[in-house]
Amino acid sequence: MTGPALHGTDAAAPADGGSRGAGLARTPRLRIVLGLARIEALLMVRSMLVLAGLLAGVLAAWGWFWLNPVQPLWWWADWRIGAAQLFLAMTVLVAAQLAAGRPRRDAMADLYASFPATAATRTLACLAGLAGAVPVSVLLAGVGVVMVQLRGTIGAPSIMVLAAGLVLVIAAGAAGTAIGSRFPHPLAGLLGALALFLPTATAHLLPVWSIWLIPWHYFPDQLGWLAGPLTGYPPAGGHAAELAGVAILAAIVALAVTVRSARARGLLATAGVLAVAAVFFAGAVQLEPVPAAELNHLAAEIADPGSVQHCTTASGVRYCLYPGFGRDLSSTEAPVNEVLALLPVRPSQPLTVRQVLSVDFTDTGLTRGQPQQQVSQWTAQTRNAPGNTAAASTIYLTVGEWAAAGSLTDADFNVALATAGWAAGFTPAGQNMPRPGDQAREAIAIWLAILATRPPASELQQGVQWRGLSLRRGRPTFVAIWNYPGTGGVSAAWPSRQPLPAAVYLMAKAMTRLPEQKVSQVLKDRWATWLNPRTTDAQLAAALGIQVPSGPLPPYPQP
Amino acid sequence: MPWVTLITGCLAGLAIFTILVRVAHHDQATFWLDQGTVRLSLLPAAAALAFVPYVPFRPLRWATPVPAWVTPAGHLLLAAPILALTFWAQLRIMAPAIPPHAPQDPHEPFYALIAQLIGWSAIIVAAAACTARSRFADLGGAIAAPISFAVIALAWYTPPSAKFLVRPPAIPHSIAIGWYAIAAAALILTCAAMRDHWHRCTRSPHRRPTAVMTRRRCP
Repeated sequence: MTGPALHGTDAAAPADGGSRGAGLARTPRLRIVLGLARIEALLMVRSMLVLAGLLAGVLAAWGWFWLNPVQPLWWWADWRIGAAQLFLAMTVLVAAQLAAGRPRRDAMADLYASFPATAATRTLACLAGLAGAVPVSVLLAGVGVVMVQLRGTIGAPSIMVLAAGLVLVIAAGAAGTAIGSRFPHPLAGLLGALALFLPTATAHLLPVWSIWLIPWHYFPDQLGWLAGPLTGYPPAGGHAAELAGVAILAAIVALAVTVRSARARGLLATAGVLAVAAVFFAGAVQLEPVPAAELNHLAAEIADPGSVQHCTTASGVRYCLYPGFGRDLSSTEAPVNEVLALLPVRPSQPLTVRQVLSVDFTDTGLTRGQPQQQVSQWTAQTRNAPGNTAAASTIYLTVGEWAAAGSLTDADFNVALATAGWAAGFTPAGQNMPRPGDQAREAIAIWLAILATRPPASELQQGVQWRGLSLRRGRPTFVAIWNYPGTGGVSAAWPSRQPLPAAVYLMAKAMTRLPEQKVSQVLKDRWATWLNPRTTDAQLAAALGIQVPSGPLPPYPQP
Repeated sequence: MPWVTLITGCLAGLAIFTILVRVAHHDQATFWLDQGTVRLSLLPAAAALAFVPYVPFRPLRWATPVPAWVTPAGHLLLAAPILALTFWAQLRIMAPAIPPHAPQDPHEPFYALIAQLIGWSAIIVAAAACTARSRFADLGGAIAAPISFAVIALAWYTPPSAKFLVRPPAIPHSIAIGWYAIAAAALILTCAAMRDHWHRCTRSPHRRPTAVMTRRRCP
């Protein structure tokens, strides 16, 4: 353990065994490296830049997982945690460059040359000091994992993907050390960090295959729309190997800049060639297309969800969810059961709540490298999949759009509204079918959904908006419509695809002001009449003893 | 004057921008080219700007009769044409790639983009000037640039400020006013950070030397 940490690292020491050489002989070089590495690691942990990168990563994760109302899916979220690590990696790169360039900055070269540790020893220590970034990276990954778990995620994290995030940070630090060994000016580190960031920020300009090399970027992947991880999309192992190769290559470059011995340089050159080969091999692995068998299976899952879904029946309603989504069953059942409890009479046609996938096979990021004929076949196979067209007695829940824990209000309301629509006997509207006119059952459906889920009144009121629907003599006609809050990926039958007039919502709102018993009694007495499409809001209002809401609307957002 | 630093940053930005335009043009994805591409490509030049106000041997310069703000202000004045030239070159590079009257043209007037870039530059200069007075003065731009980028990102993505500073939903007029207001505030901060802290001997020629010792005794 008394030999040099790396062959040739002591080449700068005087050969005649002067005072410096004697010092080196007394102090094992490995101990020098470890001592310096410990100091560098401590400086790295304490670095304001690294702490700022940690904060930026946490903020990014908070934005992606906490502010986003959509339920995270682990096979998507773990890549996002990797994206959060990118912010930390950028600051670690700058901090490592500053550390490696310290001896050559501010005219300090002579002072550092007088120390017993050679430049190569210091570089080796800087590289080992990157261990200081490991706990910070692990902490960031841990915070991300906790956030995702608290949002009621589906699936399990991929250790390989999370490890790739850690390797990304180390690779960035090694690159920073390599840059700092050659270019001590702080701008070099900043440019290196920007070089790390800009390909991600401009990924939409880059060729589609670049998604495999920078898979943490958010355009245009479809991971969030899948019902489970898809083998090779993106290839996590290849990506981690590529990053590890980059880290090793950067470390070799950093050492090659500072060692003096020809033998050491030869060894480093050999290792560098191997690292380059490993990087290229890992890149080639990543550029392999997604296995056709996986895509075949995915297309079959979309076209015939029943073949893979687990179906259960509760309270006469059939729920069909993809494997792994069982924990969403209770949150789906709750609003349905609330509406069922309010119904005077249940329809004869049973209700089905089914999850569907919305995957685009024309996305070349997914089907890159596949024959065009095969892609066309998958597209045709999934064109008429359930969920692409509405069905009279089925509520479709699109995977990847369901609400996260704590943000279920909108999704609950939408499921309740869809259930109420089924109860009211709505049938799917045609593509260009005009609005059939005033129907009392629309207001009843909204009233049922409001009573079942009791969303905040202000949120419902925000849905009232002006919209230009037609042009008359060059001027759009603005009408008040009501957009019910969010979609939550819920699609169900409704009499028209056109926006709902605000008057319908105002009628339902007026009904909520009446005693629930009274409204229920009126509905129960003439339920069949109310479900008749020809029964109008005016008739319903008369039966309830209220005025049809009219006149100036509340202060809506002006067009 | 850190000419090498500044020119390296500007050339790096130009190189990145040229590569992006070429790649987008090759992939027939020029519809993605917009002012956002210009903004991103100017980040290296902006990072270089953070090093411009740095004055080496500052304590020594403080000891000279020249006010402390003269040197960094001179650096900034010299840097302004280089930055303007970089920006102009980027627009010249992008012009052939975007067909005339393309959809992205009328939506984003250039006066708003210019205001944004002036605002960014002012934030960076203010951060650099403040850093120069801190214990991190020797690192200068390496500290100021990340701080500036963080401030800009916060202004960009925080909903209350984004409402006025980022389109959409802000209109170009409010974007320009908002960024110019930020630039003005940053300029005031820069002036405050660059002010002369040294207790000078202000000797008036019309008074006796002993009577005009204002803050510090003259040698």
